[in-house]
Formats: sequence, structure tokens, C-alpha cells
Amino acid sequence: MSAEVFFTQILNGLVSGAMYALIGAGVALIYGTQRILNFAQGEFFMLAAFGLFLLSTQVGLPLVVSAVCAVILVAAFAALVYRAAIQPLMNREGWEFSTIAVTLGIAVLLQNVAFLLWGEKYQTVPYFIDGSIAIAGIAMPLQRVLVFATCVGVIVAMTLFLKYSRLGWAIRATAQQPDAAAVVGVPVQRIRMLTFAIGCGLAAIAAVVLAPIYAVNPWIGVPHLLKGFVVVIMGGIGSFPGAILAGFVLGIVEAIGITLTSSEWRDVIAFAAVILVIWLRPAGLLGKS
Amino acid sequence: MRAPNWPLFLVAMLAIALLPLVFRNGYALHIMILALIYAIFAQAWNLVTGFGGMKTFGHQAFFGMGAYASALLSMQAGLSPWITIWIAALATSLAGVLIALPVLRIRSVPHIAIVTLAFAEIVRIIVSNLRGITRGELGLIGIPGFDALTLPVIGLVRFTPAQKLGYFYLAWLLFAVVTAGFLAARNSAHGMRVLAMRDGQDAAESLGVNIAAYKIALFFISAFIVGLIGAFYAHYIIVLTPSSVLGVDIMVLVIAMTLVGGIGTVAGPIVGAVLLVVSVELMRDLGQYRMLVYGGLIVLSVLYFPNGLASLADRVRPWRRAPERSLEQQDNQP
Repeated sequence: MSAEVFFTQILNGLVSGAMYALIGAGVALIYGTQRILNFAQGEFFMLAAFGLFLLSTQVGLPLVVSAVCAVILVAAFAALVYRAAIQPLMNREGWEFSTIAVTLGIAVLLQNVAFLLWGEKYQTVPYFIDGSIAIAGIAMPLQRVLVFATCVGVIVAMTLFLKYSRLGWAIRATAQQPDAAAVVGVPVQRIRMLTFAIGCGLAAIAAVVLAPIYAVNPWIGVPHLLKGFVVVIMGGIGSFPGAILAGFVLGIVEAIGITLTSSEWRDVIAFAAVILVIWLRPAGLLGKS
Repeated sequence: MRAPNWPLFLVAMLAIALLPLVFRNGYALHIMILALIYAIFAQAWNLVTGFGGMKTFGHQAFFGMGAYASALLSMQAGLSPWITIWIAALATSLAGVLIALPVLRIRSVPHIAIVTLAFAEIVRIIVSNLRGITRGELGLIGIPGFDALTLPVIGLVRFTPAQKLGYFYLAWLLFAVVTAGFLAARNSAHGMRVLAMRDGQDAAESLGVNIAAYKIALFFISAFIVGLIGAFYAHYIIVLTPSSVLGVDIMVLVIAMTLVGGIGTVAGPIVGAVLLVVSVELMRDLGQYRMLVYGGLIVLSVLYFPNGLASLADRVRPWRRAPERSLEQQDNQP
């Protein structure tokens, strides 16, 4: 592998790593705060991509406006789904499995509703910005730079939000001690619904910046969901910084890995890594064992 | 603990055996064979998930491995499918033990879900990518059916797409054996230990239940059954693609069947499989809505019917004991 190929792959790895980190952060936020493994996360990703496509090409809104609207709509829809299908399960016995089962059912439902409404054809969304820039002599499309910048920016903003805002405190308090949080006046149920919506919103943000690169169809959510799970397990399930670190590690390992083998084996590398991590270090890279 | 109702079981098996007298055409036989296949598959998944308490999401891997292993062995080594289905089932059960090993290390439901799903995806991608052997998504064709048999009294039994009766009775036999096995095991000492493990792992362990051995055994048995029925499916359908036998869709189907019927009961998966296969086929116009129906059924049964239809029988007949506790609390920590 020449130095140039290697360096290009590192750059590509950073871009997909930022994307994995953002998707993983969404999964980790929901899991970390309420122990729900959300199998429908990928479908909120898919819906946001479709939202961007429909609002920009069918309704005719400007791209950026469409993207913002799509993210907000998806987050609101996620809150609704939480309220209707997940919250009722939380007080029942065996909720850990029933929430997985119900989100899996919702995922299948949403995929097939999207398929019936919009068909299976890959729909394309225009780039937010055209052109490319040279980074150390390697041409990088600006859209990919935008993906990287957005993902990193959102992750940083999210970290600061959780750490310093009152709402962020409420979210963390609810995660750590729901009863104590309720005693000091935190509306626990609403915070949980909000956290779920934000977690799905993070997937939606990843979706709208990625849609121009990957195109849109009802089945695009599943691979991203699986990658999100991989990242979250590797980073230590529920650990926000762990998910981010694991996202970048996975992005770079995959990018190097596919130049050594071929792109069709990429997912095997990721899934084998996740089984090994669980086998050898179940708590993940940064998780507490 | 009530003993298995053997007379009811025998009557039910006899009734199923007589069904082809009423429904003679090939299409009806096909539906009944599919229902039996899924009833066996769902029972085996329920063994690990409902009785064992390990919520796996990767059993489609065992189905596909059994199917591909038996098909390839019969095609490449020229062995009879009557032999290859057993080799395939055994190979699949070893894969089941392999995936049980990381599962032993963890109790957390999400971790087990992800490990098993990741494993199944690895199998699917490998089978899709090894096009030289499996032809990938183009589909493996030319899989032989079962060789004709000459049985006493009945005479020559052929297994071809046009003559499905042999397949039906073979599926019926497998179903009868598997179901009888579950009925007997359910109330045995082993069955009790498995339930104890599910409902209170630490307590069971402190009373001397070898947790690791039971977990591995459950995976071994379950993978063996699913591999065997996958192999049967291969020699029945005689065309295989990775998405048709290894896709997540199959797992969704089996989960929907088990949840609708009642997870953690012997009858539940059978009731669910028969109900879903038959009703979806009756609504043939709804063909493209099939997955939609399955997804919706999972959501509805989890929310409004957590114990499934099998618990309904208990409610209707109050002299029966209350339904089993089918879902348990587990540690969140890995």
C-alpha cells in the first residue's frame, strides 16, 4: 500500500468514523439513559433521508431548510412512538426484551410502510455543496468534509449540552437515579421521551448529511443500525465517549481493511470485531467492567 | 406442574396426519408443509429464548447453515440427502455451541441480541460472498430432492415438487418427534433446571445447576433442530438464496409467530406458526403487505398480548394453572 493510498484511506476512515460515531452516539444516548436497545434507530435514519428527499425535490424547499425540517419532524415522530409503544412497556416485567421486540416490530413496519408509499427505487438528493478541496495533496469532495464537520460539531455540541445545560443535567440525573431526580422535580417521563427523541434525532442528522452520498431507499437504515450497535458495544454499551472513540476506530480499521481485502468483506470485519469484544471484554473499550 | 397431555397430543398428531385427505392439492400441501417447518423452527427458537431466557436474534444463521450445508454436501459429495441432513444438522449444532460461548460470558439482554445478530449477519455475508461455491444471490440451484423410498405396506414414496405427500409426512414426523421431545422435557428434571436458570440464575446456580452446561446444551439442541429443518427445507424447495434462508426477515417471522402464540410455552410457537402461515396465505392479495403484517403483529402482541394466544387457553379454562412467567428481569450489567 503506497503512502498516498494509505493517507486517503485514513481520511475516508475519519469521515465514515465521524458518521459511525454520530449514529453510535444516538444509540448510546438512548441505551445509556434508559437501557433500551432501539432496533428502530435505523428506520428513523431512513425516514429523515426520505424527509429530506421529499421536502427538497417534491415540496421544493431549499436543501438546508428541508434538512432541518426533516430532523425536527423525525425527532417529533420518535417522541410519539416512544409515548405510544415504548413507555407503556417500561413498568412491566421483562421490559428489556419487550422493548427490543417492539422496536424491531416498529422497524419492520416503518420499512414496509416506506416501501409501499415511496417504492424501492434509489432516490438521489443533490449535494449540499459541490466541489472538492485538497487536503495534503488528496482531493476530498466538500460534501464529505461537510459530513465530517457536521458529525463532529453535533457530537461536541451534544457533549456540552449534556454536561452544562440544565436539561442536560436533568437527562443525566434521570439516567443515574430516576427516583431521586423525580424527588427534586425532574419530570422523569418527559425527560425520557425527550432523550429518546434526541437519540433518534442524532440518527436523523447523520441521515440528512449522508443522503446525498448514499441515495435513499426504504432499506438503508438497517446497515447503519447494525454499525451503530457495533460502535456502541465496542465503546462500552451506554458510554457516550466510548461510542465516539469506537466510531472513529471502526471507520479507520474498515477503511484500511477494505484496501487489504475487498469492500464486500467490510461488514464481516466489523461484526467479527464486535463478537470478539463481547467475548474478551464485555464492558467494551471504555466501559466499566 | 401438570403432566403433558399425551392423549391430546396423539389425537392432534393423528388429525394433522389426516389433513391431506381433505386438502389434496399441491398448494394446500405446500402451505401445510411450510406451517410444520415454521412450527418446528419457532419451537427451537423458543427453547433458547422462551425457556432458556437467552434472547437470541440470530437463529436464521442456523436455518441457512443447515440448508446450505446439506445442499452443498449432497451436490458436491454426491451423498444422499437422507444422510446429508444429519451431517448438516450436526455441523450447525456445533456452530450453535460456538455462539453459545460468548453468550456464556454475558447476561445482558442487549449484548446477547447483538452478538447473535452479528453472528447471523457474518454467516449471511460469507454465504453471499463465496459465489464460487454458493452462487451468492443468483441462487444455488440443482439441489437434489430426497431419494425415493420403498416402505413396507405403503410402497414406493417419491419426493418431487409434484409429489409433496412424502414431504408432508416427513415434516409431520419431524414435527411429532420435536414436539413430543419438548413436551417430555418440559416437565423433566432437566426442564425444571432450565426454568430455574431462566427465572433466577444465581439462585439456580447456588442450588447446583450447572448453568454453563445447560446454556451450551440449549444452544446445541436448538441449533441442531433448526439446522435439520433448514436442511429439510433445502431439499424441499431445491433453490436457495442467502436472503431467502439467512435474511433477518426469517427471524422477524419466527419472533412474530412465537410472540403471537405465546413465548415460553410449548404450544405457543406451534399455534403462532400455523396461524401466521395459514392466515398470510389466505390473504394472498396481501402478499406485499406480508412483512407489514408481521411487524404490526409483533408490536400489537408485545403491547397488548404479552403472553400470547397460548395464555388465552389458560384464561378460558380456569382449572388450568396460570400461564408461565415468560419474561424475566435480568441484570443490565454484562
